[in-house]
Amino acid sequence: MARMKFICDAERCIECNSCATACKQEHEVPWGVNRRRLVTVNDGIPGERSISVACMHCSDAPCMAVCPVDCFYRTEDQVVLHDKDLCIGCGYCFYACPFGAPQFPQAGAFGLRGKMDKCTYCAGGPEENHSVEEFRKYGRNRIAEGKLPACAEMCSTKALLAGDAGVITHIYKTRVVTRGKGDEIWGWAMAYGGSGKLSDQPGAKA
Amino acid sequence: MKALAMLAAAMALAACNEIPQDAPKPYAGKEDTKAYASDMFKGDKAKYESHLAKRADYQNEYIRTGDAKTK
Repeated sequence: MARMKFICDAERCIECNSCATACKQEHEVPWGVNRRRLVTVNDGIPGERSISVACMHCSDAPCMAVCPVDCFYRTEDQVVLHDKDLCIGCGYCFYACPFGAPQFPQAGAFGLRGKMDKCTYCAGGPEENHSVEEFRKYGRNRIAEGKLPACAEMCSTKALLAGDAGVITHIYKTRVVTRGKGDEIWGWAMAYGGSGKLSDQPGAKA
Repeated sequence: MKALAMLAAAMALAACNEIPQDAPKPYAGKEDTKAYASDMFKGDKAKYESHLAKRADYQNEYIRTGDAKTK
């Protein structure tokens, strides 16, 4: 069984925003909603780092725990999705998420929150695969087409990796061994538990 | 009097009961169709997984260049 994860390689990300643009374009995400975004640390200072951040599809997702209407579920591939027909837009998931992934479109003229929107790992949602309803609510279902998330496939430097944990940790390991640095995987321990060190990941031991 | 005091104490402490919040909650929404149920894979999960793993390997440019140093 695949365990779909994201890795953002901070040594490679050049803050080009192609991941965020690809996501916006692929799913026709409305203005004001950013399923994926770039965060730059120490901007302008030598050694600055940029990270592409979206829903990490956590192993023990805090959004699932706090949702008052239990609209979250996990697919067989460990992708965390939600049912927009149930979501009441309360915003609890936004406060619980350590990555700031849940987004809320403005509904109406008075700043009312709409239903939560977030990265779906390009896996759609609880509607018929490739249906009009699925696209309207959740975006395109690339996973059902045998494709990986658009953000990772569009990444110009391949800083953003998506796929099964074993496969992408192996790719990351090849890089770390080749360049001789960057053993720490950003966000890994926070999202998936355990150690954030590449050397501690079972998939990295080849 | 004693019974009244016990009743009052029971009522005062009633709100101190803590409901367990860490129990896994069931999903209340609609059932999702499986990703490998699409026309491309026709329910073949193994084909779906191998296809995605192969696709994920395209992200490893060291395979293309042959420059990888693997221990």
